[in-house]
Amino acid sequence: MEQAPQSKPILELRGIGKQYRSKGRLGKGGGQTVVALSEVSLEFRAGEIFGLVGESGSGKTTCGRLIVGLEKADQGELLLEGRSYGTLKGESLRAYRRQVQIIFQDPYQSLNPQLSILDSVAEPLVTNRVGDNKARLEKVLATLKAVGLSPPEDYAFRFPHQLSGGQRQRVAIARAMILGPKVLVADEPTSMLDASYSAQIFDILLEVRQRLATTIILITHSLAAARYLCDRIAVIYRGRLMETGPADAVISDPRHPYTQALIDATPKFGDCGPIKRYGTLVSPERPASGSAGCAFFRRCGLAHLGRCARQAPELTPLTLGHLVACHYTQEAPAPETGQACRLGGMG
Amino acid sequence: MSAEPQTASQATPRRRSPWRERFREDWLVFNHNPLGRAGLILLSVFGVMALLSFLPPLIDPMYHPMTGVDPQVLYSEGPSARHWLGTDFMGRDILSQLLAGTRVAFMVGVSAAFMSIVLGVSIGMVAGYAGGIIDTLLMRLAEIIMVLPTLLVVLMLSALFGKLNIWTIVLLIALFRWPGVSRVIRAQTLSLKSRPFIDAARVAGASHTRIVFRHIMPNVLPLAFLYMTFRVTAAIVIEAALAFLGFGDPSTVSWGMMLQWVWKTGHMFQAPYWLFPPGLCISLITLSFYLLGRAMDEVLDPRLREENGTV
Repeated sequence: MEQAPQSKPILELRGIGKQYRSKGRLGKGGGQTVVALSEVSLEFRAGEIFGLVGESGSGKTTCGRLIVGLEKADQGELLLEGRSYGTLKGESLRAYRRQVQIIFQDPYQSLNPQLSILDSVAEPLVTNRVGDNKARLEKVLATLKAVGLSPPEDYAFRFPHQLSGGQRQRVAIARAMILGPKVLVADEPTSMLDASYSAQIFDILLEVRQRLATTIILITHSLAAARYLCDRIAVIYRGRLMETGPADAVISDPRHPYTQALIDATPKFGDCGPIKRYGTLVSPERPASGSAGCAFFRRCGLAHLGRCARQAPELTPLTLGHLVACHYTQEAPAPETGQACRLGGMG
Repeated sequence: MSAEPQTASQATPRRRSPWRERFREDWLVFNHNPLGRAGLILLSVFGVMALLSFLPPLIDPMYHPMTGVDPQVLYSEGPSARHWLGTDFMGRDILSQLLAGTRVAFMVGVSAAFMSIVLGVSIGMVAGYAGGIIDTLLMRLAEIIMVLPTLLVVLMLSALFGKLNIWTIVLLIALFRWPGVSRVIRAQTLSLKSRPFIDAARVAGASHTRIVFRHIMPNVLPLAFLYMTFRVTAAIVIEAALAFLGFGDPSTVSWGMMLQWVWKTGHMFQAPYWLFPPGLCISLITLSFYLLGRAMDEVLDPRLREENGTV
C-alpha cells in the first residue's frame, strides 16, 4: 500500500480481522458469527491525527479497542514502530500500553467513582512503578494543568461525581497522557458532551499533538469533527475499509458511495448556498448478497447486481494516498449541484 | 509544590474532605430515618451494657457471672437491692450474667459476621471477576452450603466433637453464612466488570489483583457492610439457639446459655425475672441490628431515599 513518503508509520495494522461468535444453546455449537473487522490495514504516522469514521456498529470502536489491546485480533498483526505485538500478555502488554493509550467515550463511566482524581490519574504511574508518591503527585498536578484543569490542586482531591462531563473527560485525557504515550486512541471523546465542551476537548487534543507530537486516532461518527481535527481519514463500514486518504480530499471529493452517503447525512447550516447531494443510499435495503460481495452492496445506489454482489472490491489508490474500495469509483455521478458547502454540527 | 506553599497547604486538608462530606450527607439521611435512629439508640444501650460487664466482678467477687456465688443465697431469688435482677439457681447474679452475655453476643455476632463477609466478598469477587469454570465451581459450592440447615449441621458437628469452644462456633457460623453474601457480591462484580472504568484500569496497566482490590472492592464494600449487619443478627440467633439446646460453650455466659439454665433447672415458669431479661435482650439486639441494616440500606440505595422523601 503506497502512502505519501512522509515519515515511517508509528503504528501499523496489517490485515486485522475480528469476529464475534454468539454462544449457541449448548456450549460452543450453533453460534452465529458477526464480523466486526475484516482485512483492515492501516498505517498511522507519527504526530498525525487520524480519523476513523463510520456509523454505529461499523467496527470503529472494536478497532480502537484492538489497538490498545483490550480485544485480541483473530487475524492479522499489530506493529508498533515496526515491532509486532501479536500476542500481547503480561509485561510486554504493559510496555505496549505505555506507548498506546485510549480515552473512552463516556466520561461518566470511565472513571472509578470511588477513587479520587489524583488516584485515577496516577494509576498508570503506580502500575508502571514510576517515581515515588511525591513525584507522582507533582506529575499528576502538572498533567491536570496541561489539560486545562487549573488550579490542579483544586481538582486532584475531588471525586468524579463532583466534576462536570467536560472536566471528567479532561481527567481521562490526563490519565491517558501521563505516561507520554506515542499513540492516543480517542473513542468518540465528545459524543457524551455538549458542543461547547466538545470544542474544548478537541482543542486539548490538538494541543497535545502539538506539544508532544502524539499520534491521535480519533474514532468518530461525525465527518465534521473529523474534518476539523484530522489529517487523514479512514471510512469504515461493517468492519471493512471503504475509503482512506487525506481528510480534505476525502471530504471534499468523496469517491466511495458510502462516504458520499455520510456526507449527505451530515447536517448543514449557515450560508451554504445550494446543498450538494450525492444520493447514493438506497432504501429499502436490498436483500443480502451473501458474504462474497461488497459490504455496502445492500444500501448502495450505484451497485450493479452482477459484480458488486459477487466480488468484494479491493482498496485501490486513486491519487497519492487516497484509496477507495469500490468497483465503480470512476463512474460515480457528479453531485447534483456543484457548490461546495461548509459542514456544520461538529461533534 | 514548594514554590507554592500556600496552595500546597490548601491541598492537604482537601484530601479527606470529600469523604467527610459524603459521610455527613449519609449521616443526615441515616439520622432522618426513625428506624435507623431507634436501632442505633438500642445498639448503644447494648454497647454500654457490654462495656459495663467488666464492672460487677470488680465490685465484689460474688458478682462474677460464672464463678461468683452469693453465700447467702441457696436457690434462685427474685430481684432485691443486693441482686437487682435476682440470682440463678446457685446464687449467681443475673444482672452481671446479662451484662457478660451482651459482651459475648457482640463478640460472636460481629466476629462471625465479619468473617463470613470477608469470605463472601472475596469469593464473590473472584467468582464474578474470573467467570467461567471458576465462577461455576464456586457458585455451586455456595449453593450446596446455602441449602444445608446451619443449625442442624452445627448440632451434628458438636455432637461429634463434644462441647464446642465459642470461637469454633463463631467459625462454623461464618463458614455456613458466606454464600448469600457471595452471591450478591458476585452479581455486583459482574455489573462492575463491564463498566468502562475497568477497561480504563486495564489500559492503565493494572493487574487483575489490582483491578479486583483497587477498583472493584471499594465499589462493593458498602453493600458488604450492609449485609454484615444482617449477618450479625443471624449469628447471634444461631449462637443463642445452640446454647439453649445445650451445645454452647459451657465456659462462657451467653444469653442462650442463661436460657438453657432456666430451662434445665425447671425455672421456666417459676422465675420470670430470670427468663425474660436474656430473652428480651436477644430479641432487642437482633431488632436493633436489623433496624440499623434497613437504615443503611436506605443510605446506600438512593431510590429508597426518594420514596420516603427524606432528602
